[in-house]
Amino acid sequence: MSLQLQPVRVKTGSHDTEGQLVFSDGFLVAVLVRLSQDHEEEAGLWFLEAGFDGADRATQPKFAVNAD
Amino acid sequence: MAPIPNHSMDMLIRKLDSIARLSDKERRAVEQLPVTVRPLGQHQDIVREKDRPSQCCLLLEGWACRYQVLSDGKRQIFSFHISGDIPDLQSLHLKVMDHSVCTMTQATVAFIPHEAMLELTVAFPGLAATLWRDTLVDGAIFREWMTGMGRRSALGSIAHLFCEMYVKLEAVGLARDRTYKLPLTQQDIGDALGLSNVHVNRVLRELRGKGLITLQSHKLQIHDWAELNKLGDFDPTYLHLDRGAA
Repeated sequence: MSLQLQPVRVKTGSHDTEGQLVFSDGFLVAVLVRLSQDHEEEAGLWFLEAGFDGADRATQPKFAVNAD
Repeated sequence: MAPIPNHSMDMLIRKLDSIARLSDKERRAVEQLPVTVRPLGQHQDIVREKDRPSQCCLLLEGWACRYQVLSDGKRQIFSFHISGDIPDLQSLHLKVMDHSVCTMTQATVAFIPHEAMLELTVAFPGLAATLWRDTLVDGAIFREWMTGMGRRSALGSIAHLFCEMYVKLEAVGLARDRTYKLPLTQQDIGDALGLSNVHVNRVLRELRGKGLITLQSHKLQIHDWAELNKLGDFDPTYLHLDRGAA
């Protein structure tokens, strides 16, 4: 499985606008958003804003892997 | 010698009185319940899932919640409780706890032996009916939360929770002027409403940005009650406080 990232701006209704579309073998599987300073100690973490087909989780995880 | 009236029961009487008016005899019987009063720290379990309690816990001061932890460690909060509530009242008739109850703040609780509660309900059918009514209201609140989790937006769910807690606290004299102490973290709110703390954070900012609330140092001020009601689709009928709040 190969993953490709594509930078995108996401309208979350907040200051969290920097995002990445995540593609797996050409299919969109997730939208990640980098948390803004609004989130204090969690600022800079990536948040699973939306996920599809196995990447959809009732509790959306946050993680620190650099997606750039 | 007549037993000494127990003033720690005042909160329970106030709560029961908000459901149905108590007679003087009923009031005295509640005051004379044999209780053990204990201070508890924050985040302390009062009763745990699978326990077989022999007493009920009346919350005198502070906040508590019912909750369950899933096998992967995630927590679901089912309900928040305030002074006057008996969050494990069900243990009187359901012997095994199917969830846990813990404090959310420092708290004072009064433990009432099941035996004494059962005797009270046998001797005073009116009180038994009031407690039954309380558990029915509990069920109504669960239905409302279910609607919220299934169908409301994050904004609507949080607005609804803020309105609900205000009405409940006001009914027992713990809130007024659309202001109350809200000792919950963003994580607590998320765990109760099935939201990520990221969404809770965004919604709180939005509510503040619209000038609807101020939330600072755990003090919540609601500036536009009508608008918050509208956002949360809040109709207090399900709280059944028609008896009239104190």
